[in-house]
Amino acid sequence: MSSEVLVLGTSAVLFAIGGAGALMHRHPVALLMAIEVMLNAANLLIVLGARVHGGADAEAAALVVLVLSAAEAVIGLALALALFRRRAIPDVDDAVELRG
Amino acid sequence: MMPLLAWAWVFTLPGLLLTGLGVPTGQRRAGYASLLGPPVLLVVALIALAQGGSYSVTFDGWLPFLPDGAYRALADPLSALLLVILGAVATVVYVYSLGYMADDPGKRRFFVYLDLFVAAMGLLVLAGNLAVLLIGWTGVGISSFLLISFWRDRPGTLGAGLQALAANAVGDGALLLAASIVPTGCGALVNLGTSQCTAGFGGAEFLALLLFVAAAAKSAQGPLYFWLPNAMAGPTPISALIHAATMVAAGVYLLVRTHALLTLAPQVSLWIAAIGVATAIGASVASLFQANFKKGIAYSTVAQLGYMFAGVGVGVPFAGLFHLFTHASFKALLFLAAGVVIHGAGGREGLADLRGLGRFFAFSRWGFLIGSLALIGTPLITAGGFSKDAIVDAAINSSTPIVGWLLLAAVILTGGYIGRLFAIVYMAPAVDPHTVHHDPGAERPMNWSLVPLMVGSLVLGWVGILWLPSVLPEAIVGPVATVPILNITGALAFVLGAIGFLGVAWYVLRPQAALARGETSYRPDGWVRAIAVGGYAVSDAFSRVQSGLVARYAFGSLIGVAVVLLVRVVAFR
Repeated sequence: MSSEVLVLGTSAVLFAIGGAGALMHRHPVALLMAIEVMLNAANLLIVLGARVHGGADAEAAALVVLVLSAAEAVIGLALALALFRRRAIPDVDDAVELRG
Repeated sequence: MMPLLAWAWVFTLPGLLLTGLGVPTGQRRAGYASLLGPPVLLVVALIALAQGGSYSVTFDGWLPFLPDGAYRALADPLSALLLVILGAVATVVYVYSLGYMADDPGKRRFFVYLDLFVAAMGLLVLAGNLAVLLIGWTGVGISSFLLISFWRDRPGTLGAGLQALAANAVGDGALLLAASIVPTGCGALVNLGTSQCTAGFGGAEFLALLLFVAAAAKSAQGPLYFWLPNAMAGPTPISALIHAATMVAAGVYLLVRTHALLTLAPQVSLWIAAIGVATAIGASVASLFQANFKKGIAYSTVAQLGYMFAGVGVGVPFAGLFHLFTHASFKALLFLAAGVVIHGAGGREGLADLRGLGRFFAFSRWGFLIGSLALIGTPLITAGGFSKDAIVDAAINSSTPIVGWLLLAAVILTGGYIGRLFAIVYMAPAVDPHTVHHDPGAERPMNWSLVPLMVGSLVLGWVGILWLPSVLPEAIVGPVATVPILNITGALAFVLGAIGFLGVAWYVLRPQAALARGETSYRPDGWVRAIAVGGYAVSDAFSRVQSGLVARYAFGSLIGVAVVLLVRVVAFR
């Protein structure tokens, strides 16, 4: 098994773990961590692409994803904080004010 | 007088300062210091209009970040005419407000806002280039917001003000974009139609489109109509001054001012006419179903602005401007007459509350009747007949006569909605007359301020056809130098309006007898009920998708990604 396939598999497994976590966790911070895992899985794939094809474009893209994930974490944590302030038990399934 | 007129927007600022600083003191005399500004504006503008000529003021490099950042003010017959309208309606409304706001603790603040509005509107009208226009444009929007939300403690007023601000922001944005894309040194409004000024991004069509969007937002046309009916949350004098006579007409003014540009953009002109007609018909229908007295009149304003847009859109700016001129008078009259009843009924505006109460206010009743006759276009004796006829004629004789025929047909709706309001408030038997309270001290200034508007609603049509074409520039008056005094379409329009007025008035007054006999009122038919039930069912089915659960949304996106990947793999194997 070549190392590329290994990294590809790792990325897929990581994405699946993150996705499952994002779907199942009800705590806002745990949800954010699951999303980070998914982002990292995607980033791993980008780095792998950079390695296979060479060139700096994909590596730059990976850096952009890192920055974006940091920004996403800031907004996510602000949302989590707002949820903590409003509810005794922070449960994202409990915040259904937008139900139609 | 033109050099003085170029600075006319500062006329109300001394009043603003004095009133704001508490001079003169006391509740009764609050606002007296502001009373001088509008009459001075009116007199100066009238003299300037009679004398003619033009005068411009320029200070260079004032807003360096725009292509044309000079301060340019231009006083010419067109801006003088608009300032005459502004000064006249403002004078009437100031006097009226002395009565309407007599017992309001915020009377002083009210007059400060009024002064601010008149100054901003003056700047808008006197603007010589897009940069200055933008300042006036935003200024009237802000003072409109302040006055809509004047009674900010009442539920809904703040929301209504913010709605107006949001809708106006669309127009401000379009105008800012227009000011940014014109080539350097080319912001002057009178030059916008020249080829060197339309050389910017998108050409003449795009520039005209931006100005149209700005005008539509200010004049509540097309999809941006929604803020104007809700703006009725403000005091009634505001509805008359800002949301009927002057500010909402700024969109029409802008299109008339930049008419040279519109002739270069026939597609946009067609859109202006189409949106105008659609708004005129839609708002007229909407007015028929309002439960609030002032909102009924507000939809009428939206519809009449649609007529003006159609007039400008078919390439006859004079017709639109003429209707703006007469409409300012009779629509302000309708609003102020309504305000007398609303004030006498303790501030209630619902048609159910006001039913029949208008009988107890003779001035208001006559005023509303005259305003209604002008609105449906009674020929020869009222102003509205001339100007509405001018628009309909211009549209029928244009390259798109369908616009004219639609506008003509819509007059029956005009008659219908104003007949409904008149019948309910002024003709129906009063349900509870004891809720009316007369306050002579407050009513006297209100009643007297209706008189000049009544006169205006009757005679301004003659002024418009006999005098205006000779003082306005040739480019605006255009080929239709003379408006026919009476012709077949005008008579037809009046007949339609009268049929609508009398028909709906009869319909409104008729159920009284049935109710008295103890018969039940309206019951929905089977198919009406079916529409409602079906609508609810569809809405329920679709709203179930909106669970509010984050996880379910995320699951949906993941499934979506999986499907896309699957399609990709299968299709491009």
